[in-house]
Amino acid sequence: MFGRLSNFKHFPKPLWGDWLVIGFSLGLVILSFFTLWSQQPATTLRIRTGSTVFGEFSLMQTKSLKIPGKIGVSAIDIQQGKVRFKQSPCNSQYCVHQSWLQHAGQVAICIPNQVSIELIGAVPTMDTLNY
Amino acid sequence: MAIIHFQASEEDHRTAKLTAFAIGLHLIESAFPSPIPGVKPGLANIVILYVLARYGIRTAAWVSLLRVFASSLLLGQFLSPTFLLSLSGAIMSLLALMLANRLPKQHFSVISLSILAAFTHIGGQLTVVRLLLIPHASVSYLIPIFGLAALFFGVVNGLITARLLFAEQQ
Amino acid sequence: MRYLFLLLVSFTQLSCSIQLDPLYHTQSYVFGTLVDISIYGEKEPEAQFIASEITRQFQAIHNRLHAWKPSELNGINKTFAEGKPKLIEQDMADMIADASQRSLQSEGLFNPAIGNIIHYWGFQSDDFPAHTPDKAELSALLAQHANMSDIVLNQHQISSKNPHVKLDLGGYAKGYALDVGLKILQEFHVQNALINIGGNVIAVGQHGDRPWTVGIQHPRKPDAIATVALGSGWAIGTSGDYQRFFMLDGKRYCHIIDPRTGYPAQGTQSVTVLIPPSKDAGVRSDVSSKPIFISEPARKAEFAKKMEVTHVLIIQENGEILASPAMQKQLNWLDKEAQTRVRTLE
Repeated sequence: MFGRLSNFKHFPKPLWGDWLVIGFSLGLVILSFFTLWSQQPATTLRIRTGSTVFGEFSLMQTKSLKIPGKIGVSAIDIQQGKVRFKQSPCNSQYCVHQSWLQHAGQVAICIPNQVSIELIGAVPTMDTLNY
Repeated sequence: MAIIHFQASEEDHRTAKLTAFAIGLHLIESAFPSPIPGVKPGLANIVILYVLARYGIRTAAWVSLLRVFASSLLLGQFLSPTFLLSLSGAIMSLLALMLANRLPKQHFSVISLSILAAFTHIGGQLTVVRLLLIPHASVSYLIPIFGLAALFFGVVNGLITARLLFAEQQ
Repeated sequence: MRYLFLLLVSFTQLSCSIQLDPLYHTQSYVFGTLVDISIYGEKEPEAQFIASEITRQFQAIHNRLHAWKPSELNGINKTFAEGKPKLIEQDMADMIADASQRSLQSEGLFNPAIGNIIHYWGFQSDDFPAHTPDKAELSALLAQHANMSDIVLNQHQISSKNPHVKLDLGGYAKGYALDVGLKILQEFHVQNALINIGGNVIAVGQHGDRPWTVGIQHPRKPDAIATVALGSGWAIGTSGDYQRFFMLDGKRYCHIIDPRTGYPAQGTQSVTVLIPPSKDAGVRSDVSSKPIFISEPARKAEFAKKMEVTHVLIIQENGEILASPAMQKQLNWLDKEAQTRVRTLE
């Protein structure tokens, strides 16, 4: 079968059905670029303690995490696409009051306990936050 | 002491020969690094498409599945995640070919079959990646890239197969 | 192998665009807040070394200027209280002289001499409880009239005519550290970097082929209200009533004290200033937002002018959003509803 590769002179032309399939697939691919690459749902949660990344977690799950920080344990809840500080050992409780985060680029930080949670999408929306 | 005796038919010989071709192409392909990780031309599909056109879906299925098992054994990936990906891709594209084979031949050439096989191949693989390897929605971000690659290589492989079949008819 | 590739690809997708981004990013906690350093285009070991050097120097500045733990600054406060003179380092003298000059420029609204009042409110702490103010105690503290003009600097010798002057450089140190960080980056010939100290940010170069993008925090939501493309050498700083505060009987008491009343400034949620490249861009990004934050609504534009601020965004408690024309050109609104409430500051 490969002996005949050498005498390739011309390729057979695609039939109209082939063009239909090509056009349809191309449409699907372009559509997928638009739908999957344009919006910014958060997909991943990055948790840091102090200067180290504690871990990265999928947002597409329901999970309770206990994160040991500087002054105690921060409880973090992941619930199918959103996340929050549920409990914190700090006095101010700012982190808990931030409530649910769900968009890429959202950040909640517990400064006293040095625990931060950051939502990451496919493309970064900003480099840092002026808070 | 019993000797188990196999009578290999002509069909078996043919299947083995074609599978060897497919394995050869697969091995050649895995020797070259891909410019985009995960994107490969899938040259073995040319053999599968050729077999489908010449000898029908049954032989194509044999060649395809034997190719997956034999290649993974040769490359030492048997039952590894790579093998799982390969198998899922092969099964999905075989199912698609089974259906697509019923399309009217005068309007849909092997090029159509090739594109459909390429899409279902990567579709099956991404499904396994999403379910087992990276259980994470971010996999969806890869779909457009792989989709584009599937379209491109689907057309190219289809053209090559079409030319092969055309040459055979001469 | 293929799945490893896939894994690799998908991870790079998470942190950056399609190709591998040569971005080094690290966080640490200094100055009682989050320090966030991004270095673009340097090899990772170098970037890591430079970032740790910057963090180390920040920690050193923090230790020298700590307002409620034993520090060089607290040593000065102690000799002030004892009414004695003290010999200090040149850079410390320069810093205090500069802070005094800026206090003068702000007509005393930026007043780092009122450490006693800040301490009274409990904001000189990493984690502070709600605190009921006592009018009599506060008016006694206010009657101390602690001002930067009480400080006498004679070359390396410092003293205070007023024993109640207690320096708290909480509104200065982070900006000062930004300028130091910028100097370190320049010494190491870093072309592209971004330093964020608790919301005070300075940029060098850009992030690849696009400028550094900084989100401005919504004062009441866990979202960015807008983004700004921060050019090379530019700094941005925000004073907000949401950064350090406590709630008491439904009322918000924030850490920004009005030196005229001794009470936390009211009526403003946040003031963001954008400072063009200059040797003191960091300090200016930290200091100049405070007088604008503290001043009454009718005088905010006047204080912006006094502090030589051309780019300013003010979010008022009553929902009003004011932005200078220059600032409006820089803002890329994410919160479209907020955008409709923007009025021009004049």
